Order: sequence, then structure tokens, then C-alpha cells
Amino acid sequence: MNTLITILFLVFAVFILVAAIMTVTVKNIVHAALWLISSFFGVGALYLLMEAEFLGVAQVLIYVGAVSILILFAIMLTRDLEGSQNRQLTPRWWIALLVPAALFGLLIVPTVMTHAWQLPPPPAGQPPSISGAQQIGTAFMREYLLPFEVAAILLLVAMIGAIVVAFEEREQRRRVLTLAEQVRLRRQRQQQVATLPEPAVSAVQPSEATGGET
Amino acid sequence: MITETEPETTETQTTRGKVYVIDRGRPKLRAGQGLLTGLDVVFRHFRDALTRKLEKPSQQTGVFTVQYPEERLKLPEAFRNFPILLYDDETGHELCTSCFQCQRICPPQVIHMTQARDPATGKAVPAVAEFLIEYDACMSCGLCAEVCPFDAIKMDHEFEFSTDVHGGLTINKAGLNRPISYYEKIAPTFWAEVKDGAMKKLQGNMKRRPDLIGVAPQMIDTIKAKRAEVAVAQAPAPAPSAPDSAPTDKAARLAAIRAKAAAKEADAQPAPSDDSAPTDKAARLAAIRAANAARKDEAANVAQTSDTTSDDKAARLAAIRAANAAKKAAAEGAPASASAAPPAHTAPTSDTPPAASSTPDDKAARLAAIRAANAAKKAAAEGAPASASAAPAAHAAPTSDTPPAASSTPDDKAARLAAIRAANAAKKAAAQKQDGNDDQ
Amino acid sequence: MTDILRSWIGSALPDWLIVLIAYLIVTTIVLFYAVGNFILMVWAERRIVARMQDRLGPNRVGPAGLLQPIADAVKMFTKEDIVPRNADRWVHLLAPVVSLAPVAMMLAVIPWGRGWEPIDLNVALLYIVAVSAVSGVGLMMAGWGSNNKFALLGAMRAVAQLVSYEIPAVTALLTVVVLAGGMSLLNLPHLQAGVPIMGATILCNDPAGCSPLLYTTITSFPGSPNEPVQALDLGLGWWVFTPVGLLGFVVFFIAALAEGERTPFDIPEADSEIVAGYMTEYSGMKFATFYIAQYILNFALAALAATAFLGGWQGPGVAALANMGGPWVHAAAALSAFYLLAKIWILFFVMIWLRGAFPRLRVDQLMDFAWKLLLPLALVNILSASLMVSITQWTGAQWSGVVNLDGFASWQRQLIAVIVTAIINIAATYWILSINQRPAEQEWDEELVVAP
Repeated sequence: MNTLITILFLVFAVFILVAAIMTVTVKNIVHAALWLISSFFGVGALYLLMEAEFLGVAQVLIYVGAVSILILFAIMLTRDLEGSQNRQLTPRWWIALLVPAALFGLLIVPTVMTHAWQLPPPPAGQPPSISGAQQIGTAFMREYLLPFEVAAILLLVAMIGAIVVAFEEREQRRRVLTLAEQVRLRRQRQQQVATLPEPAVSAVQPSEATGGET
Repeated sequence: MITETEPETTETQTTRGKVYVIDRGRPKLRAGQGLLTGLDVVFRHFRDALTRKLEKPSQQTGVFTVQYPEERLKLPEAFRNFPILLYDDETGHELCTSCFQCQRICPPQVIHMTQARDPATGKAVPAVAEFLIEYDACMSCGLCAEVCPFDAIKMDHEFEFSTDVHGGLTINKAGLNRPISYYEKIAPTFWAEVKDGAMKKLQGNMKRRPDLIGVAPQMIDTIKAKRAEVAVAQAPAPAPSAPDSAPTDKAARLAAIRAKAAAKEADAQPAPSDDSAPTDKAARLAAIRAANAARKDEAANVAQTSDTTSDDKAARLAAIRAANAAKKAAAEGAPASASAAPPAHTAPTSDTPPAASSTPDDKAARLAAIRAANAAKKAAAEGAPASASAAPAAHAAPTSDTPPAASSTPDDKAARLAAIRAANAAKKAAAQKQDGNDDQ
Repeated sequence: MTDILRSWIGSALPDWLIVLIAYLIVTTIVLFYAVGNFILMVWAERRIVARMQDRLGPNRVGPAGLLQPIADAVKMFTKEDIVPRNADRWVHLLAPVVSLAPVAMMLAVIPWGRGWEPIDLNVALLYIVAVSAVSGVGLMMAGWGSNNKFALLGAMRAVAQLVSYEIPAVTALLTVVVLAGGMSLLNLPHLQAGVPIMGATILCNDPAGCSPLLYTTITSFPGSPNEPVQALDLGLGWWVFTPVGLLGFVVFFIAALAEGERTPFDIPEADSEIVAGYMTEYSGMKFATFYIAQYILNFALAALAATAFLGGWQGPGVAALANMGGPWVHAAAALSAFYLLAKIWILFFVMIWLRGAFPRLRVDQLMDFAWKLLLPLALVNILSASLMVSITQWTGAQWSGVVNLDGFASWQRQLIAVIVTAIINIAATYWILSINQRPAEQEWDEELVVAP
């Protein structure tokens, strides 16, 4: 069974890497977005392999179901999609390779070196530490309450920001009135006109040819 | 919570006219009541569509579909598609007289016809020889049916004419003919309105159509057979003195009765002299008929075929005409011209010279005599040699040993022509004789 | 299935192969089941909508037109597959696949009968929601890959609709999660045993035990004392008969209509408005794939609604048969499968009924409906569900001494919970409906109106 798991892990890992590389190298930006979505799927598969079902499903739900759609919307609403004339590699590409590699190495090497790879198997009968949805929920409410609340407020702020950005004052909306509304409007205007002080006599003769409709 | 208020109506006069605003006052809380009402309506339609069909529009629900071609809607009477020609069921005569009115009025000009002609005289007959309608160009306007004075062309209800035969939609008279019963079935009230006038006109037209001209092709054979039957049934009428040998024909029996009565009268009265023409028309007619029948009997062994039908009919017709003329002449007190006038007289007045030439009002009698003489001459020319007397064609029957020519198809026209010629010859002979008498 | 196969050929093959074969067989069966239902659903939709419109529907092909879907399938197969010239070929090709695959994946976790679920995930509900979100990507790909502005527009509208209605749907399902205490779909029908409204709370008073035909032993009762109890079981303790479940069912069903793009939410495929929306440039088998995806999605959503709120395979007689043991268990499973299928078809009939009756919503009406009406109702429903669970199941300690309901019998607690949640739900519904109705005074600014 272990060999099967290892083989599956390798397959998924290769798939994720290939998808990620394709994301940054294809010329067509929509294709790049689709490769990105495949890499999301790959990560979700990895989570399932680790028996973190909740996380795997949440990964698919959030990344594939929401984030990718957002990305696709953003792409499709932009103009220049013919990325063929963009050069893939800039002249100073070796700097772009060196700096992120150094940063990545700075982060990963200590982690790999100090991690205990051979975990002792858990004592028999004990449920796994945090894997099921119930445990995650309990953890959210106990140990990780603060990050939970901060994340919630962050999402709320984002939503309010979206509403503010997209909000259109109702007064600024122009629309065509129904006949009943026109009648009401006309009556109100007549009342307003009636309450105004007497206007000065107009020197210009009103022409009779033009229609008297407002 | 869910209340209905009275709808309030406000009325305003604007520059463009009055504006009415009706505020129906929607219920206070809209919780989907309208939606549920809509669902209920649709469900009722669904339920009724499973159980019944929609017959009339006032019944709102039910299956509306008519599964053509298994089910068909009943077409209204006034539905018109393409025209058809009508013919009478009993007599087989087509109502069309080829008056060309429909051809004239047809907007796309798809009607074509030719008038029937009398093959003997070449004159036009009120019947149609051939009739053609191009259905594919017909626009179903119905003007032809509207304008026909004889109600011969009517609009049919048939519309399933699809064909893959090129030219299959050009229909000739045989294809256009329908019996009147068919039209009566599809448009009863329309036919009832025009039936009397149409049949009356048909009767008039039938009289002017010789022989079988104007009979629908569908009915020609049956009509011919019927006429043969009629003739055969009428031929064996009994002799006036001989007892009736079971005559089946009503006319023959009637003739027999009349002959008996005439014979009785003849016996009672002295034998009429040459100038005392019997005033009893009926008796004369009966006598004529009886004589004919007797002669027919004698010639039965000679001529038994029905070929003599037409000749006989012609002769009878001539005899009737002569008798009529004689009656007219007798009514005016004409002298022995009467004897010459009706050449069908069997009374021994045949050898008296016709003095028709002296009386001017004997023109009709003369004409009849001429006709009869011609007929006799014709018959004599075709058959055996005719006698010197102004024997009519009917007389020629017994004197001729040979049966009338096989060309008995000569219709009454030929017979009349022969009778006319014979009368001419007789007149000439009579005139010569009179001259001779005068001379002497 | 794995066990069956193990018993037959367990000796010949390694275990993982048996498992693989077993799952393949189950997959085939489930897919055939879904596609068979799809064919019947296409036929039923056309005939039933026709009857609602006073006409007959297709009745020429086969008896009563039953072979019409076959004729449609032949037509789809033999139509030319047209790809627009400037369209993105791969995206155009993969979009139907990405639309259909998630729908098929959804079918794997639904219990189709008693003991007949293909896979038992303990996050099944979340899995279904996640997978249905993926089909939105398929829509976008279809709209983009057609090289057609209107297809793109239609795709964007479709995705907006899908995403908007996911939220009330998920929130309504959250109600079920609260009531069930977990996200597994397997347990849901088991929990909906009992009698209407009162659920499985009418216990057996006879110490000697009651007839197993009427009473079921309930052990997995979340929060319940661990000893098994026997409760009156008519198979009708569906959550739809409780106020919480009723509101949740209504919200979820409407949201499922919108997810499945059924009228009155069929803007993405409004034939009279935007041709076929994102499916405009698709012909032949690709269009058929979209069509199948839509119908099977509706089938799966109806199954989900039936399982979550209408008791799934639970029905009168299933528990009785199962309690008899032996070969009767299989009869119980068959009966339960029939019950679920009947519920799905009733829900589908309601979908057709709504299609025959209602006109289409405008896009802005659609959005208003989701965000202003369904979402608040769903949130209130979660509150009610929490109250219901806490009243019926919490011990005094869990209540932290606020109120002690330990003394009451379980049916009394259920009754109290029903009444409390009914009051809350009705009041909230009334309030939300009334604030949603626009007041009658004017809301437009005079200077900016278009001159008549």
C-alpha cells in the first residue's frame, strides 16, 4: 500500500509541477489560467492523499470554484490577450531566477533539515490529531479562534469594499418613467410652479407652432 | 396581513389626453400567492389535458392537438380549395354548358374548356367537350363558382393533392366531375339554395343536347345501358286488335289501351274519307302508335336488334310532329291536305294529292310532310326502294325487306332530312298531278 | 460491492485489484442509472410540459413517444461538429468535459438506497458543493472558447447566477449539517426516521421491547445517551415536516433550480434572448454533453434535496423490512431505492411544473432574489436549526445552566423545539418579505428622468 501511495504522490507532484510550469510559460493567458486551475486540482488531490478530506474539498471549492472564476473574469475583461508578441524571457532572466531561488532556499532548507521525517505511528485507538471536520471546527473555536475571527473580518471588509466600489447611488440612475409616474411628476411640478412667485412678463412672444408639451 | 383594498382610480387631463391611473392596491404582503395561483392554473390544464380534448374554444382546457392525418377537423361549408364540376346522379348529365364565364373571370387563367358540338350538324351544343383546370396555379378565389350561371362549377373541400408527378395537378373533365350527391354532402345549405334553379336549367339544357352529349364520362355506360333497357322495354307493345301479349312496358300498355279505344271508335264511326281527318288527337296518336307497333312486330323477324331504336324514335318523333300539324290543320278546317300532311296516317288517304300548296297556313303541315317524306326517302335510300307514295320512314319499315341500314346511327336528324326530301318529292308529284288535273 | 466481489474472487486477485474492479462496477451502475433517468427525464419533460400547454408532445416515435430521446440522441451523434474558426480549439473542446465531469462526480456520494451509497465520505455535503462549483469553470471556458461576444456575455451571466445561488444553497445545506451533526450524507436518511414533525422521539414505553415492525432501535443519535432506544418509526420523520426543514427545503429547492438553470432561472439558455447563451457555438455531441450535464445536474440536485430534507430513501416500511433481517434486508434496500426515485421524480415534476407556469426572471431580479431574500432566510434558518438542535439534544451542562431541559422527555423537547423554531421562522419570513417590498413612494430623482 505504501508503494501505491508513493507512486500516486509522485504522479500528483509531477502533475502539479508541470501545470505550474505551463502556467508561466504558455503564451495564451487564458490557457495559463486553465493550467493554474489544473494545478489547484493537483493540490487538492494531494490533500486527499494525506487523508485531509476537508482540506482537499475546501481547496477545490475555494480555489477552483471561486478564485479561478475570479481570475477568468479578470482575464476576459482585459483587452490585450494576444500575448504572442510578449517575449517570454526578459534580458535579465538570470536575476529573476536567482533571487526567488535564494529566497525559496532560505525558507525551505531549514524546514527540511530540522523536520522529523520518521514520525512514530500514533498509539492505537487514538483518533488523528486534526483531520476531521469536527476537529477542525472545534479547533477554530478553541485554539485558533483569533485567526478565525481575523479572517472573518477580512472577508467582511472585502465584501463591504466590493459593495462600496460597485455601488451606484439610486439617484444617479436614469430611467424611463411609466405613464402613471409621468402624470404624478407633472402634477408635482405644477404644484411647485404654482407656489413660485409671479414670473416677470416675458418679452419673447411664445410661438404657437411648437408643441406645448414638456 | 393579506388584504384587498378597493382599487382607486385617479383621472388626469394631460396635453395628450386623459390619463387614468388605477391603483388596485396589492395585498399587504406578497409572499408568493400569485405564484401559487399560477401553479394551480397550470396544474388544472395539465390534469384536463390528460383526460379530455378541447372541442370548442369556450372550454378552456383539454388537449388542443388534432393528430392529423388520423384525426381531421370538420371543415366549414364555405371552405374552398379547388373547383370541381357537378353532374346529375340520375341522368348523368353535367351541369356545365361551356358558357366560358368561369374561364373569363379566372384571375390566374387556369380554366380551359372547349364547347361540345353536334357531330351531325356541327352546331354548338350546351355541353362541354373537354374541361381543364391547372390546380397548381389555381388560387382558390372561388370566383368561378360565384359567376357560374348554371351552378356547374363549385369549390371543393379536398386539399390533399401532393404529388410527385410533374403535371399531375392539371386535371381534366373526368377528374373534375363529381356527382351532385357529393357536393350536397359537403355543402348542404349551399346546394339547397341553388338546387331548384340549377336543376331547372339542367332540364332545359338536357333537351338541347342530342344523344349522349353532355353525359358525364363516369356515367356514359350506365346511361347507355339504361336507355337500352328503356327502349327494349318499350318496344314490344301489343297490336291494337290482338290481345296483349303481356307487355311489360307501361307506355306500350297505355298505347294498347288507347289503340283499343281508337279501334272501337273507328269501328263505330264510318271509315273516314280522305278529308275527314279524325279530330281525336289521342285516337290518332294511339292509332299511329299501334300501327307502328304492329309493323314493328311484322318486322320483328327482320329487325330484332335495337338498332331500330333511333330510327323508331325518329319516326315516332316525326309521326308526333305530323300528327300535331294535322291537328292544327284539322282545327282550321283544312281540306284533304290533312291527309297529305300527316304522312304517318295509315288511313287510305295516302294517295290523295297533297293540296298543301294551296293553303298558306298549311306551312307547318307542309314542313311536317317534307320532313316525313325526307325521312322516308332517306330510309328508303338506305334500305329498300321506297314507294311512290309519300310513305314515311315508318311506312318504309314494313315495305322494306331489308332492315334499316346498319348505319341506323343516323339519328333523327338524318331521318328528318329523309322525310323532308320524301315530302318534297311527294309535293312535286302532287303538284304535277294537280297541274295535270287542272290541265285536264 | 467490494465485499461481494471479495467473496467471489477474493482468492484469485490481489486486494487492491478487487477494490478497483468493485469501484468500477459500481461506477458503471451509477452512471447507467443516471443516464437511464436522463433519458426518461427528457421524455417526461417534453410530454408533461406539452400537456400543461394543452398539447400532446412527441408521440410518434415509439409507444407514446418513449423512443424520442433515442431519436434525439441519434440526431446529436450525427450532427456535424462545428468549431468556429477563430475559437480556441482546446478550450472549446474541453469545456463540455469540464461541465459534465463534476456532475458525474456528484452522483458518487448520494445514498441511492439503504446501504447503497457508492462512497461514504464524511465531508460529502461539502464535496458536493465543491464539485458543483467546478462546473462554473466549464461555463466560462465554453463562453470564452466560442469566440463569440454573446456567448461570453451569456457565460458571464451564467456564472454570476451560479455563484450567487451557491450561497443560499450551501447555507440551506448548512442547516442540514447542523441538524445532522456532520457532513456525511449516509446518515441523513437514518436520522429522518420516525413520525412526521416529531421525528424519532416517540419512544417505546414497554420495558419488554416493542414490535420491531413499528419500532426501530436508534443508536447513532448525536448527543443522545449511548444506550439504544426504540422509537416509533414510520419512516416519515422527514425534516421537511419541521419548520426548520421546511424553510430550508424551500430555500434549497429554489437555489437548486437556479443552480440547474431551470426556469424561471434559465437566463443562461434563454432561447429568445441570447440564443443559447454560452452553448451557442456548440453543435452535435458537444451540445449533447451540455444538455446531459444540465439534466443530470438537476437529477443530482433533486436527489440531494430529497436526501437532505425529504428523508432520502426513508419511507414507510423500509425500517420494518430491514428489522426483519435476513433476505428482507435486500427487499428493504430495493424499497428504499424506489422511495428515493419516487421523491426525485416528484421533485422533477415540480421543476417541470414551474417551467410550464412561470416566465423568466431578469438578471437583476435574479440577483435581488438571491441576495436579498434567500440568503437572509437561509441565515435565519441556521439560527433556528441551532436552536432546534440545542433544545432537543443538549444536556444541561452544554447549556451552561441557562436552561435545564434534562427533565423533559424527548418528545416534549422536540415539541418545544418545533414551536420555538416555527415562531422564529414565520416571524423572520414575514419580516424579510415585507422589507423587501418596495414602498409606494417615489424613489427617482426628478431632474434626471428622461423627458417623456
